[in-house]
Amino acid sequence: MESKSSRLGWVHTFVLQHLSPEQLAEIIDVTEDGIVTVDSQHRIVLFNRGAARLFGYEPAEVLGQSLNLLIPEQYHQSHPKDMEAFAQGPVDSRRMGSRRTVSGRRKDGSVFPAEVTISKLQHGEQLWLTAIIRDAAERKRYEDALLRLNLELEERIRQRTAELAERNRQLQQKTDENEMFVYSVSHDLRSPLVNLMGFSEELELAVRKIAELLGDPRLPAEVIQPALTLLHADVRESLTYIRTAVERLSRIIDGLLRLSRAGRVEYRWQTVEVGQIAQRVVDAHRTVINQRQAAVAIQALPPAWGDPDAIEQILANLVSNALEALPPSGGGQITIGCQPADSEGYHTYYVADNGCGIDPSLLPRLFQPFQQQSASNRKGEGIGLAIVRRVIERLGGTISVESTLQQGTTFRFTLPGVPPSGGSPASNLPVLS
Amino acid sequence: MNRDRLVILLAEDDDGHAKLIERNLQRAGVVNPIVRVADGQAALQYVRQGSNGHPLLLLLDINLPGLDGIEVLRQLKSDPHTSKLPIIMLTTTDDPREIDRCYQLGCSVYITKPVRYESFVEALQRLGMFLEIVKLPTPPTASAPSPAGPGP
Repeated sequence: MESKSSRLGWVHTFVLQHLSPEQLAEIIDVTEDGIVTVDSQHRIVLFNRGAARLFGYEPAEVLGQSLNLLIPEQYHQSHPKDMEAFAQGPVDSRRMGSRRTVSGRRKDGSVFPAEVTISKLQHGEQLWLTAIIRDAAERKRYEDALLRLNLELEERIRQRTAELAERNRQLQQKTDENEMFVYSVSHDLRSPLVNLMGFSEELELAVRKIAELLGDPRLPAEVIQPALTLLHADVRESLTYIRTAVERLSRIIDGLLRLSRAGRVEYRWQTVEVGQIAQRVVDAHRTVINQRQAAVAIQALPPAWGDPDAIEQILANLVSNALEALPPSGGGQITIGCQPADSEGYHTYYVADNGCGIDPSLLPRLFQPFQQQSASNRKGEGIGLAIVRRVIERLGGTISVESTLQQGTTFRFTLPGVPPSGGSPASNLPVLS
Repeated sequence: MNRDRLVILLAEDDDGHAKLIERNLQRAGVVNPIVRVADGQAALQYVRQGSNGHPLLLLLDINLPGLDGIEVLRQLKSDPHTSKLPIIMLTTTDDPREIDRCYQLGCSVYITKPVRYESFVEALQRLGMFLEIVKLPTPPTASAPSPAGPGP
């Protein structure tokens, strides 16, 4: 008692100086939270209006009654023990219940969740315990709602992940189907093309024969002249146009076949010495490099995990493009290099040139098939970079381009440095970007 | 020298292709009779009937309607009576996948259409056939005698 009053000394003094016992009782009574005090026998000695509102009892109905009146039956055994333990324990006050709420029982028998703090006070021979009680139904509703929301969210994420995987699989299937479609269409187009090529050659042979026949001196000049004009100016010219168109068609179809093949050919996964391949590619382009008096530098290139033929295909395309962009008069430079690996073990290789650059308007569609750089530069059918992108994606990498007109172009592509974790090599199926 | 005149069996469904191949072969000097069939079933039938005792050279299109060229090739190669028949596959592309399928079935000789003289001669040589069996004159560009190796 002494120690308590000395600890609470200043509150005690303050209250006694400023408040009458009636005022104090009034404050306790009007407090919104329920305040219930019991004596050592757990008989109720104080029951304020807040408690009356919570439990539905008038104070007069409960004063002197056992605390069990306010507690659901299932806790009648355990609750007094908890109280006793607290009474004997070292702390003066604490929150009740191992979880955050305990249960209270109203007069009508209904049970409600409550937040309860409990404190003890030595009162003469008696140890009084005071509980401050707050209805936790609202808070519990929020908590439950939050919990439900969390579960729903987790479930939704699970669903979305599954949907994404399914979408990925469908896209993969679509890509396979598209490639199969492109393959069979371009294959079927080859057949009529053989006729076009073959019979235009036949026609040319016939033209040559007719020209020979027209050389017969017995024919009158007025027949020979117009006939020769027809033959050369008309038939031959028409044939030239047909041949040019057929050859172009043939290149397009070949390009399509190569593109569809790039997505389907099986890879031999292994560690690839990219440096050796770069050297081989540069050697293969030696004639053009010399013609253009270009300087080609190969920096240290770390090995990559992939297919050697596929990586050679990538580099050959990029080096050939770079050479194409260089000024024919000399002074061109090409650098094949590599940036340090990123945290996921991917290397970024690059092929940089100081050539004519690519028009910015063409950059967004640069890796799509049949995108010509310019009318003056239509050596190929604009399929090379589409193939390069396809191959890089299948190897698990990405490609990007940076270009400034008249200053040069840099193609960067990533490749894994080591096999993907899990031991087995990446599947032979193409992967999505 | 070779009493049983070799017959060239051309299995080709596209009329234009067949015409081009016949013309090219004839222009190259091939005088052997060319029998044309338009599908795989007819090709098998002709081969199995024994072509009246004439030796045969089969020019077989890979893409035939119904029974395609690959299947015809498989059936001929798996039958001991016809497994030795010289076959040249005809393709429209040098697609490695198609070529691979032919290799697996035991045919390593193919020509891309329309059959030109040089590729035809090369294909014959790969089959180990002599130009005299297929009646060829001296090549149109050369005046020297036949470039073929020693005759039978």
